[in-house]
Amino acid sequence: MKRISIDPITRLEGHGKIDIFLNEEGDVANAYLQIPELRGFEQFCVGRPAEDMPNLTARICGVCPEAHHMAATKALDGVFHVDPPPTAKKLRELLYSIFYATDHTTHFYALGGPDFVVGPEAPKEQRNILGVVAKVGMDVAKHVLKMRHDGHALIQMMGGRRVHPNWGLPGGVSKGISEEQRTEIEARGREAIEFAQFSLKVFDDIVLANSDYVKLITGDIYVHKTHNMGMVDAKNCTNFYDGKIRVTSPSGKEIHKYDAAQYRDYVAERVEPWSYLKFPYLKKIGWKGFVDGEDSGVYKATPLSRCNAADNMATPLAAAAYKRMYETLGGKPINHTLATHWARLVELLYATERWVELATDPQITGKEYRVLPTETPTEGVGCVEAPRGTLTHHYTTDERGILTKVNLIVGTTNNNAPICMSVKKAAQGLIKKGVVREGLLNMVEMAFRAYDPCFGCATHSLPGQMPLEVTIRGPEGEVVERLAHYTE
Amino acid sequence: MKTLLLGLGNPIVTDDSVGLKVAAVLKERLAGRTDVEVSEDYWGGLRLMERLAGYDRAIVIDAICTGSPPGTLHRLTPDDIGTQRSASAHDVNLATALEFGRTAGVSLPANSRIILVGIEAENVLDFGEHCTPAVDAAIPRAVEMVLDALKGLEIGG
Repeated sequence: MKRISIDPITRLEGHGKIDIFLNEEGDVANAYLQIPELRGFEQFCVGRPAEDMPNLTARICGVCPEAHHMAATKALDGVFHVDPPPTAKKLRELLYSIFYATDHTTHFYALGGPDFVVGPEAPKEQRNILGVVAKVGMDVAKHVLKMRHDGHALIQMMGGRRVHPNWGLPGGVSKGISEEQRTEIEARGREAIEFAQFSLKVFDDIVLANSDYVKLITGDIYVHKTHNMGMVDAKNCTNFYDGKIRVTSPSGKEIHKYDAAQYRDYVAERVEPWSYLKFPYLKKIGWKGFVDGEDSGVYKATPLSRCNAADNMATPLAAAAYKRMYETLGGKPINHTLATHWARLVELLYATERWVELATDPQITGKEYRVLPTETPTEGVGCVEAPRGTLTHHYTTDERGILTKVNLIVGTTNNNAPICMSVKKAAQGLIKKGVVREGLLNMVEMAFRAYDPCFGCATHSLPGQMPLEVTIRGPEGEVVERLAHYTE
Repeated sequence: MKTLLLGLGNPIVTDDSVGLKVAAVLKERLAGRTDVEVSEDYWGGLRLMERLAGYDRAIVIDAICTGSPPGTLHRLTPDDIGTQRSASAHDVNLATALEFGRTAGVSLPANSRIILVGIEAENVLDFGEHCTPAVDAAIPRAVEMVLDALKGLEIGG
């Protein structure tokens, strides 16, 4: 097969690009996803004070600034050798739970939901958030916006600034909450639990009650048997803010459980000549290519992987939803990529329950929300579960606290290899002997939309979203067909 | 009648910061105007729609990538960029977000009262606090374009 080198993507094109290569028989030999990625962050940071990082890193990404803020703040705890007091840890986790609930809501209704709620076969002009509203009812639009509004308002109240919190400090946070604020947070949290339950019911009524959708979710073209990664607490329940990183095998066995600071012993990154992206893999197993299985170092870090890597959810309603998901889909682990949407809703319920748990914790209004660092700064690793996967920040400084080295593994990056594999497998299922089945573009999009990929690009830039273009190439690299979901 | 002038961008991604830099100049030029608010933000899609809630008119200033020479100015409306109706890989676009907001009863300016001023960018992939020269040189012209657009909106009611 002729080798095609793909030009670096630019924002001029402004969209993700998938190249599918056909062999002599007209079947799919390979499929690659190319996406824009911001460059040079490490160089940008070196030479700056480490305390700038929670605010600087929150600017990397227009999608999950709170996750970067939190990972950076935790990394600073390490750099300055301080252990935050319990109130500070709880406040951080509370803000983070509110952020999670807001983010997962948006993904389900605006981004992932249209595939299922409206339906994968629906005309593309209906397959968007407006289509979801048309199907579920006008009220859902109000609920979604209220959920987003409450989340953003509470984050601003706690974090001091809308959008990019200005809050995390080594050893704690810059301010606590009053009893009045706590009451407000609790009240909004209780409403959020109801909304999360409603969302799971929407999934039940519309998706699970439809045998075609269930067939699609459990269908072979969306199955991948990779390792799973997720953060767990002392009881091996999912935790977004803190805990150990646990990795389970495609058959569900625990193979690693480690402190985030040890990530370099467990995760390595592979560079491929055709992509700017790095492909992380499990170091102790090694890179065996873009393949499934116990012997392959490929792992996923998604809502579904977090469920797979944990033993349970730590809150009662979410634990029941978790149990039901596994019972319905045939036990653990679940290897159906599209079930990630369901797992995201289970996590949404957990985030809202945890929100209320923390808002009603007696220590949450405590005044001890920071300890001052006194030791010489050196090095620290901060890790949280971002909505899109395990997020790791690693900083090294000189004795003045000036950054000398910065390394980040961001949520989506963990999933670069499985996303490529999912895209390839979907394409293989849909292209046979040179015949491209109708609906290819959306079916391929669905394969990677389940991962809720965030490509660190400034996603707000006009025209404001990332359409996808698929190019199908013959054995000589010639373009057979080009499919795109956008108009100009 | 309340008008919002909103610079969008990422302050640490080279030309992507241009919308914020234009907004900074506008803040000085329009100091003292109580009917016009100049602000900045970092988001498109749903969050941008939410930001426009409650205003009668809005001008959004942002970097844009269309293939024109860097520094070229574009004056658009949400309808100009709103033709995509498919599910996207990430956020929804502004036109869809506006329609969604109106469906939910959010008070938003009419599309005809939302103007987008786009400054053609050269580099939106590298981290850096300064714009490239051609984009930097376009800032005064972009400011004038926004002030012109503001006059037009005010005459239009």
